[in-house]
Amino acid sequence: MRAAPVTFDAVWKKFRRGERHDSLRDLIPSLARRALGRVPTDALGGEEFWAVRDVSFTVCEGEALGIIGPNGAGKSTVLKLLTRILRPTRGRCEVRGRAGALIEVAAGFHPDLTGRENLFLQGALMGMKQAEIARKFDEIVEFAGIGEFIDTPVKRYSSGMNARLGFAIAAHLDPDVLIIDEVLSVGDARFQERCLDRMRALRARGIPLVFVSHNLLAVLELCTRALLIDRGQVRFDGTPAGAIQEYRRARPSQAVDDRAREVHIAGVEVLNGHGRAAEEIETGGSMTIRIHYAASRPIERPHFAVDVVRGDGVYCYGTNTRIDRLDLGVIDGDGHVDLVIPRVALLPGCYSLSIGIQDTHGACPYDIQHQAYPFSVTSDRRDLGIVWLEHTWRMQGSDLDCVPAARRNTRDLTPEVIR
Amino acid sequence: MDGRLAADLREMVSEQREYRELLVRLTLRDLLLRYKQTVMGAGWAMFMPLVNTAVFSIIFTRVAPIDTGLPYPVFAYCGLMAWNFFAASQRFAVVSLTSNTNLVTKVYCPREVFPFSAILVSLVDFAVASLVLVAMMAWYHIAAGRALLLLPLIVAVHVVFTAGVALLLAMGNLFYRDVKYLFEIVLAVWMFATSVVYPIDQIGGRLGAALMLNPMTPIIDAYRSVLLRNELPAAGPFAYAAAVAVALLGVGWVAFHRAEFQFAENI
Repeated sequence: MRAAPVTFDAVWKKFRRGERHDSLRDLIPSLARRALGRVPTDALGGEEFWAVRDVSFTVCEGEALGIIGPNGAGKSTVLKLLTRILRPTRGRCEVRGRAGALIEVAAGFHPDLTGRENLFLQGALMGMKQAEIARKFDEIVEFAGIGEFIDTPVKRYSSGMNARLGFAIAAHLDPDVLIIDEVLSVGDARFQERCLDRMRALRARGIPLVFVSHNLLAVLELCTRALLIDRGQVRFDGTPAGAIQEYRRARPSQAVDDRAREVHIAGVEVLNGHGRAAEEIETGGSMTIRIHYAASRPIERPHFAVDVVRGDGVYCYGTNTRIDRLDLGVIDGDGHVDLVIPRVALLPGCYSLSIGIQDTHGACPYDIQHQAYPFSVTSDRRDLGIVWLEHTWRMQGSDLDCVPAARRNTRDLTPEVIR
Repeated sequence: MDGRLAADLREMVSEQREYRELLVRLTLRDLLLRYKQTVMGAGWAMFMPLVNTAVFSIIFTRVAPIDTGLPYPVFAYCGLMAWNFFAASQRFAVVSLTSNTNLVTKVYCPREVFPFSAILVSLVDFAVASLVLVAMMAWYHIAAGRALLLLPLIVAVHVVFTAGVALLLAMGNLFYRDVKYLFEIVLAVWMFATSVVYPIDQIGGRLGAALMLNPMTPIIDAYRSVLLRNELPAAGPFAYAAAVAVALLGVGWVAFHRAEFQFAENI
């Protein structure tokens, strides 16, 4: 059997906290220690910590692995180990073939050089041959949308142009393995979409992807598998949606200090029409958003809020029990509230839910979780936009009505001609 | 142990081959930057040794005349130009890793390319500066002869020695920033311990004998022999310098290569 293109086998990586000895003054004691043979490689010294602890995974052809986790969890260290910038303290880490790293795509740029000069330099840094760069030159400039500015010094570029040029070079690498760190945050929506397209195309060609991001929805959309890393250890290895949910469960509350102790969101489930937990909902199908709360004291007339945000940040819909003029009475202990949506009018895409619990005046939140719970919407329909509006076509001088009908499921959503 | 050394050497060479275009690009970058940022551009490569030559010519022809067997300005310029290549390479190489922090911590490439490109940039300056020497030789009617054929060998030894020192300095400065300041002092003393502006063998005595251990002296003397005197370089001292140069590059490069993986986290 052929080894997987990316192998991470029981990798440990140790770092030193704080300042290391930076001058000759500290060299002498450290040399003395070394001469005495006290070179602890496995044990932790006083100022040391494990940034990555016993992490193992493989990525096979055609697989896209997402890595998520809070800041400082060790995600970037994993990437630097993959790209050979760092070497593991223990364990084995291998990438077969040319690793294209979309990390710091503009790291080699010098402000005084023109886009053209930087393009060749950065390409060489990424291991491209000069002839290869020359061949792809026009394509790269076109992809970056730099156009006539290619002979302008990079210091006159906007930060967006800078990043676009960097990404365009990296995107034309033809790598055997693609390693991506949070590059989707650059450029406008159109450029981001092109980047995603490029990654999808590479994935479709069977090129394994490792993708680190805080953009959970991008992970959900792009990846076939995801790791949740926290404090250097793997907490979850499985489906992207599973990893994201686990991430949320592990760190339930980004809010709101003491008030979250009075009542907080203990979990949120997305249920499909059959009342089962689901990651996919069909356009026109029904869904239930079940908000579990845990109150440590009786809370009078709280309000629950739900926002729906699309993957690219478009705010699609928001409602709460206050807008709907509901009085929930007193809640105490554990329980749940359901928001039942009989017909989901969203068009296909990735979405997430923001959930909040507010006090009775709607002024002060007890707990808010922003864009925490992902789900996707699928459909056979090919309508454009964000929402599906119920509609009819009617032609003058004809008794022909074309109604995209029906209420119960998507099968019925195909238009039917009524005579 | 031998197996590991052989594997390291193979890896070092194959990495340099794979990334040779990067080395060229980095060198071009630094040359280009100088032409864009300065008005004089390549002129600076001639200016420094010329000013020094003028100063030392006054000292050693008017104040304390010495006999070098050559017109003093040519003697001095030839030494200063060769010394300048070494000194400029080191000044540039010592900070070559720390001034490219962004690349060292964020992109994978064999880190040797940074000190190496520092040397290549200085080598271009060396070539530019040598044009002045050609003009001076014409002025003083000094004709180069067959000994000139040995010039490539001398340049090669010079570059190898320079590279050995540069790798150790760049690495040292990454771990301990004191190295840069310390080496400035060493460089100033080293120049006067080398036959740059006067023939070192005139010192004599035990100090003179000790100074003969300095491999830069045979190298610079060799330049003068083949360029200005049409003689073969003194075989013994030059062979000694060549051996030191090769040994130093070997040790320096292997040490650099083995420490390389720590650079990103220690810079």
